[in-house]
Amino acid sequence: MDKRTSIINEPHKISHFEDIFRLQEEYQRNLIDHKSDLQFTWIGEHNLCYTIGKGGNRKNLLNLSKNNVFTINRGGEVTCHMPGQLVIYLILDLNSYKKDLDWYLRKLEKVIISILSHFDIKGKTIPGLTGVWCGDKKIASIGIGCKRWITLHGFAINVDCDLENFNQIIPCGIKECQMTRISDFNKNININEVKKIVKKIIQKEFNLKFVSK
Amino acid sequence: MSHEIFMPALSSTMTEGKIVEWLKNPGDKVERGESVLVVESDKADMDVESFQDGYLAAVLMPAGSTAPVGETIGLIVENQEEMAEIQEQNKIVLNPDERESQDEKSQKNEISKIKVSENSEKTNKPVETSKAKKEVQVHRKSETIAPLTNQSSRVVASPRARKIASQMGVDLSKLNGSGPNGRIQAEDVLLVKGQPTSIPWIGEGDKAVGLSNNQIIPENNSSPTGNSFGSPGETVQFNTLQKAVNKNMESSLNIPCFRVGYSIETDKLDSFYKTVKQNGVTMTALLVKAVAKTLKNHPQVNSFFTPDGISYPEKINVAVAVAMEDGGLITPVLRDPCKTDLFELSREWKDLVKRSRLKQLDPEEYSTGTFTLSNLGMFGVDRFDAILPPGTGAILAIAASQPTVVANKNGSISVKKVMQVNLTADHRVIYGADGASFLKELANLIENAPESLIS
Repeated sequence: MDKRTSIINEPHKISHFEDIFRLQEEYQRNLIDHKSDLQFTWIGEHNLCYTIGKGGNRKNLLNLSKNNVFTINRGGEVTCHMPGQLVIYLILDLNSYKKDLDWYLRKLEKVIISILSHFDIKGKTIPGLTGVWCGDKKIASIGIGCKRWITLHGFAINVDCDLENFNQIIPCGIKECQMTRISDFNKNININEVKKIVKKIIQKEFNLKFVSK
Repeated sequence: MSHEIFMPALSSTMTEGKIVEWLKNPGDKVERGESVLVVESDKADMDVESFQDGYLAAVLMPAGSTAPVGETIGLIVENQEEMAEIQEQNKIVLNPDERESQDEKSQKNEISKIKVSENSEKTNKPVETSKAKKEVQVHRKSETIAPLTNQSSRVVASPRARKIASQMGVDLSKLNGSGPNGRIQAEDVLLVKGQPTSIPWIGEGDKAVGLSNNQIIPENNSSPTGNSFGSPGETVQFNTLQKAVNKNMESSLNIPCFRVGYSIETDKLDSFYKTVKQNGVTMTALLVKAVAKTLKNHPQVNSFFTPDGISYPEKINVAVAVAMEDGGLITPVLRDPCKTDLFELSREWKDLVKRSRLKQLDPEEYSTGTFTLSNLGMFGVDRFDAILPPGTGAILAIAASQPTVVANKNGSISVKKVMQVNLTADHRVIYGADGASFLKELANLIENAPESLIS
């Protein structure tokens, strides 16, 4: 099997964070154990939930009730997922790309900027603050985990979600961090349209052949 | 024997990483491949695994702390007896109360280091303490860079120094390091003991280039007697590995080989090596990287003969010959080194060497080389040529780098470190011009741009 092949999973319904988390871990495990050569790409939306990296500062959770906060094995501070935000998980084998997490993070930023430019939105990076920004507002967040160079998690782009939810936390641990979304720039955008572009750009940038399960 | 867990390089640009969490506690059993801790850099978390079965004996850097890439952050031992020993040795660092806050000035820390070692060893004579204090002052004077690693009372020593110290029973906390930031080097341990130590004879070319310091030579060759597998008058059967080598060497007689040599100046490479050595980079990894990068532009030298024609491998895999203590040699392979940064490559190499000694290599880890390196520099040889292993097109023999009087183009004379390399190639697929232009570019890379070897 070609190493650059990835299963693509793009559910139309909103998914629970834990279900997809388990799914990701399963694909990562299989690649680590050489049970499968198939990488995994997931494009979808989550119900409202908050996640924080293991190294994240709990203070940034503010007064949030701990019920729907997931502490997970990715880098970075607290963030928020909700319908209207596109979440992309990539379980890739960096052994066949480049064993360099900085390279991978920068690559994801590049992918996000290409996605945005497709909708005539100018995204930029700020050195030291991983993620993609429009002016001084953040539009996409990145957080990844890695084991034996097999990646976990990925990035989230705000499309037309309710940005109020971010006020419950200090997103990414950056005080005064303001969030923005694609619909603030282009009202007529449909999330399914964004999905299509995301898929196309990921396929191109990571040289993937998508197969459905 | 204990095995170090190093702060890994998650990327080629990373200089330090944060320990997010220890997934195991000291004393816990760990299996090879099992995650032991999580390290974070930027927005990425990486699970760090154990390379062997055993027990986590010591956590040298607690969760939440930051350590430079290549720093020893934990120790794994093979059995429980060793664990008690290691825990005794590392008592100082295991006791969090003895830690000074990060904001304290290093001087205070230096003194606290002495105090701690006093406390932990009640037999210490007061004379030694005052001597130690004097040494600290000398040591502080010679320091020009603000110490990164001396901010705690932790003993900072190279993995080899730790190993030798534990073999010789030297207390590292009493030593002054001559390395960067006062890190204790193997030489410091040897010096205090006043005698060379013997370690398993293995052709790890760490000290190959830059043989300016003659003290280094004895480490591999402490006795004047060479290696022998039998007694006078005896005939000893070949072991399996020796038989395999014999077969390969005999089959090379049917290959029409030629040799081409080059003298490469290594002053820049040596000084670059000095700067990255503290991050765990080995000379072998540097040489492999240089060869792989050059092969990328010279695919002909990476090709090999088949009856159907010239075969070009999909990847560049560099094999490095390692002599085994009990006879024979093995060629662990660094696969696709162009895709791996120097720090990761060095770790891969250390792991391969370690597992070669234990005879734990999988076949694809020693049989997939497309080009071979043989390095005898550590013995001070000025030149040699190597025999071509079957299934490959070329092998490069690397000799020691030695100060040499060089006549410059403008007629002036200077002394430079020069290393002779010698390429043996199968003339059916590689021609003189191919070999020569490969060597020319390799020399250019090593002489002028060694820092580009980092990624």
